[in-house]
Amino acid sequence: MKPDSTWRAIITPFVLLTGPGTIFISITLLVPLLTVVMFSFWRTESYELYADWNLDNYRVLFGEAAYRTFLIRSAVSAAVTSLICLILAWPVAYYIARHGGRYRLLLVLLLAAPFFTGVILRIAALQGILGPGGLINMTLGLAGFAPIKLLMYTQFAATIGHIYLYIPFMVTAIYLSLVNFDFALLDTAKINGAGPFRAFAEVTWPLNWIGTSIGTVLVFIPCLASTITPRFLGGPNATSFGMSLSQQFGETGTWALGSAMSVVMFIFSFLVIAIMQLTIDLRRSGFTGVGK
Amino acid sequence: MAGLLNLLYVFLYAPILYVIYASFSQDIVWPFPPAFTSQAYADLVSNSLYADALVNSLIIGLGSGIISTAIATAGVIGILRYPSKRRTLIIVIFLSPLFVAELLIGISSLAFNARILGLPGNMFSAIAANAVEGVAFSFLIILSQLVRYDWQMDEAAMVFGARPTRCFWEVTLPTIWPSLLGAFLISFILAFNNLEISFYNLGAIPTLPSVAWGSLRFGLGPELFALAALTNGFVFLIFGVMYVLMRTGLVKFGYRGK
Repeated sequence: MKPDSTWRAIITPFVLLTGPGTIFISITLLVPLLTVVMFSFWRTESYELYADWNLDNYRVLFGEAAYRTFLIRSAVSAAVTSLICLILAWPVAYYIARHGGRYRLLLVLLLAAPFFTGVILRIAALQGILGPGGLINMTLGLAGFAPIKLLMYTQFAATIGHIYLYIPFMVTAIYLSLVNFDFALLDTAKINGAGPFRAFAEVTWPLNWIGTSIGTVLVFIPCLASTITPRFLGGPNATSFGMSLSQQFGETGTWALGSAMSVVMFIFSFLVIAIMQLTIDLRRSGFTGVGK
Repeated sequence: MAGLLNLLYVFLYAPILYVIYASFSQDIVWPFPPAFTSQAYADLVSNSLYADALVNSLIIGLGSGIISTAIATAGVIGILRYPSKRRTLIIVIFLSPLFVAELLIGISSLAFNARILGLPGNMFSAIAANAVEGVAFSFLIILSQLVRYDWQMDEAAMVFGARPTRCFWEVTLPTIWPSLLGAFLISFILAFNNLEISFYNLGAIPTLPSVAWGSLRFGLGPELFALAALTNGFVFLIFGVMYVLMRTGLVKFGYRGK
């Protein structure tokens, strides 16, 4: 074979088109993540990293109850938030996909536009609405009612914050799935005698499960790593795994321990994704063109 | 369901309205009862820190948006148009950043840049790190829109002698541009005001979120509220224009019905 044709066999249009992204993601995501895995077996002393390989960071992490509490707290909060977002987002996404008409793109962009205002400002504003001197409790006070304690620096308030920040991801993911869903299938089910609930449960829901599960993961992962929201809205008993993690890279400068925490968080997220992935059946998915 | 949609928008925009309201208020910490002033806007104009931060945020947003859209578009066309055994692998690679928290993206690129490459905080690292997430979101958006694209149109163009690049510019792009625009906008927005990825990659270079973060120690500056109010005003102006274009049907943004 001439060298020219060998090259042509390797550099196919497929490789040319998908290559840049593969290389880009490897360099900017994979390699840094591997660096963190490496650092998690190192040692930090007065803000410097030393390459003597050991398991001390993991021993500390699994030995001290505080870290376990942080992780469980973050995981439970992330699971609750994902579930609430799922329930709220479905009807909204469904409405936009089915009845959005020519304004669909605008309706979806309206979900993304709050991101133009920084997360700190939005959470501070939520605090201004929910907090002790905030809009809701001030109004209640003026009307002669007792303030709602539940809204002030509690896990409940932090959950509202999380829903606020991440529900747009869930709606968008479900919407993207629904726009590819052939609603004629739903009509067929109904014509053949299925009631609206049965048609939804046996046609619409399973055929859009990929989009739904992507949305769930998109809400779960940032909630698990959340730092700002619990800090502002959660009060003294809401220290999250993410807060503790970012502290290791900031104030305390214990990079090695922080790296080990990152690895634990990554493995935990990976497990959740793996479990979600088990529930996906590509042959019964919305993305039929891709699943082949 | 329409009611729930409206409720969601109210929920999403209530804090934004609060920010706009507070930006005109004399005291942003205790803005009731209302007492209005435009002091924050005067301070905003006189302090160059906010202009620098805005410009840096715009550069990061644009850079990340362009890189993300270009890479993701090429990737989507690659997997949809040229079937390959490695298709699933490529999809997994392109979507993988979605499953890594921003905090981890930020911290891991800080660890890699600072300790392995010995780089100080810089704009290129921040753009690249933001674009990682942008590529994944763009890929998801463009893929979900292009799954049903009919590649026979392109083949027809090729049969009549168009080269692949010309075919892309004259056949593919005019059909798929709304999804590329959507992908660009989403990756721009995510990078523009990103705190956790940018923060760890920029060192002392100010962006809007890092200025907000820095000013937390002394309480949030009213200027930040003013700047956010202006940004939102601009965004809504654009949405207004889009609404008019959609309403009159001048530009359909990919909508195929009447």
